[in-house]
Amino acid sequence: MKENNNRLGWFFTSPYLLYSIVFFLIPLIWSFYLSFTNWDLIAPDFQYIGFDNFVKAIKSPSVHAAFWVTYKFMLVFVPLVSVMALIVAVLVHSLPRYKSLFLVGFFLPYLSSGVVSSLIVQGFLSFNSPVNISLRKIGIHIDWLGTSWSALFIVGLILAWKFTGYYALILTASLESIDQEVYEAAAIDGVTGNQRFWSITLPLLYPGFYTTLILAFGVTFGIFTEVYQLTGGGPNFATNTWQMEIFSQAFKNLQAGYASAVALLAAIATFISIYIIRKLLEMWGARNGWV
Amino acid sequence: MVGSKNNKRTRLVILYSLASILLLVMVYPYLYMVLNSFADWKQVDKKLIPTSYTLQSYSWLFTGGESGIARPWLGAFFNSVIVSLASTALMMLFAVMVAYALSKLKFRGRDTVNNFILFHMFFPSIILLIPSFLIIQKLGWYDTYWALIIPKGMSLWAIFMYTNFFKAVPTVFIEAAKLDGAKDFQILYRVMIPMSKSITSVIFLFLLMERWTELLWDMIMVQNDNMLTLNVLLSQMFGPYATYPGPLYAGSVLLSLPIIILFIIFGKNFQQGMQVSLK
Repeated sequence: MKENNNRLGWFFTSPYLLYSIVFFLIPLIWSFYLSFTNWDLIAPDFQYIGFDNFVKAIKSPSVHAAFWVTYKFMLVFVPLVSVMALIVAVLVHSLPRYKSLFLVGFFLPYLSSGVVSSLIVQGFLSFNSPVNISLRKIGIHIDWLGTSWSALFIVGLILAWKFTGYYALILTASLESIDQEVYEAAAIDGVTGNQRFWSITLPLLYPGFYTTLILAFGVTFGIFTEVYQLTGGGPNFATNTWQMEIFSQAFKNLQAGYASAVALLAAIATFISIYIIRKLLEMWGARNGWV
Repeated sequence: MVGSKNNKRTRLVILYSLASILLLVMVYPYLYMVLNSFADWKQVDKKLIPTSYTLQSYSWLFTGGESGIARPWLGAFFNSVIVSLASTALMMLFAVMVAYALSKLKFRGRDTVNNFILFHMFFPSIILLIPSFLIIQKLGWYDTYWALIIPKGMSLWAIFMYTNFFKAVPTVFIEAAKLDGAKDFQILYRVMIPMSKSITSVIFLFLLMERWTELLWDMIMVQNDNMLTLNVLLSQMFGPYATYPGPLYAGSVLLSLPIIILFIIFGKNFQQGMQVSLK
């Protein structure tokens, strides 16, 4: 008996199809179209200016900054969050009881709004905060959000705080799927301590680790709230992410045409970077024989 | 023998202490927020743990303090609740429908739809922001609930999760339901959703949390003070009102509390669902 579900299938997928036309395909084409105009988001008429927007974007220092800032955030955020998530996962996994209680606790920061965490950090690092007063007492003064390296570091730290528990959950799930017999067999062969971690746990953790790394790299392309609240992209574009740049060009400077061109460049940069990162991670795994 | 037992106990004490300290460090920012929202204004941001407490910050929220102009906190809170619940309900409903079709119905073009969703998922969405804003304007939805609810009513991630999960549900259950005369919507409601209870609570919580804390979209789509969501209102207070950090902390507590309460309610299902969905 062969069932013909054609109509039913299309009916059930129709919400997605409708959405993808109205909120994906039309905007996509519109975005291409806008990027070749000098429209300012308000005036009724505008001109086609060919590739001028793209030329201008490629020469713009703030776009250069947005391009590099993503990778700088990766350098801060990805190692920080992977190490922290790994520590939390291994630690929690070794607890015989109350595992889920701890995991759920570590997951709490993921529920916070970027606005709230930015607010807390701003208060915590304000000029007369206990942290800064005690630092000044020993002769250290850092303008945390007004110095390029520290502003980058602070935003990276907030994100790492937020995502650690989430990634630790993923890692714990893959730790729990490791067969205990592997460890017992290794113990008979005399594999212990550090060696045990590096030669057994880490390789078997690779699938979970791969997922968290891909997710973490992806996060760095979408940073907006923390940067918008805390630094506005500054100081001197040191934290000017793609989203921040597009938002300021479109909705602050009202250059919709130009901002669409920047968004296209951002999409291309994101797409290529994620592709390369995936390939590199797969190569890394294959080279070590983990896949 | 005794020695090894003691060793084991010492090891456990160390492990639990380490985990507790680490947990305390991770949760401390929340504690800092709550304590500062109740702190005497002279002590806000001046002490790691304030010593003197007042309700001034909360009363300021609703009266506007000496400015006398109260910000529409309650309205914004109400907007956030409506918008998040409505968007999440749509996302859940549509995800379940689409996922059921993709996993359990055979129809011409299914693979094409499947591949298109994968392509769509990996597409950087930032490029869509400006034209989406223009579409909302053309539809006449600017500054209305529609702009905040409808375009945020579809989640590719939820479709993806449900599709994977439904694939594992044995077709036997569906056929049995069909023999009993169940229609497809009934199958969804009576068979598929009950079987995916644990993962449903995970998806629900993730979607709701993300919708509740959305800033960029909500900021662009509405302008009128009465239409703001709580997250956007808090964000607006950040700059000019930053001289009053106490009320900002109080607002943060209002924003964080509902999600944390939901998380605690769903906590048990959540841990289980997380394990299931990660396998």
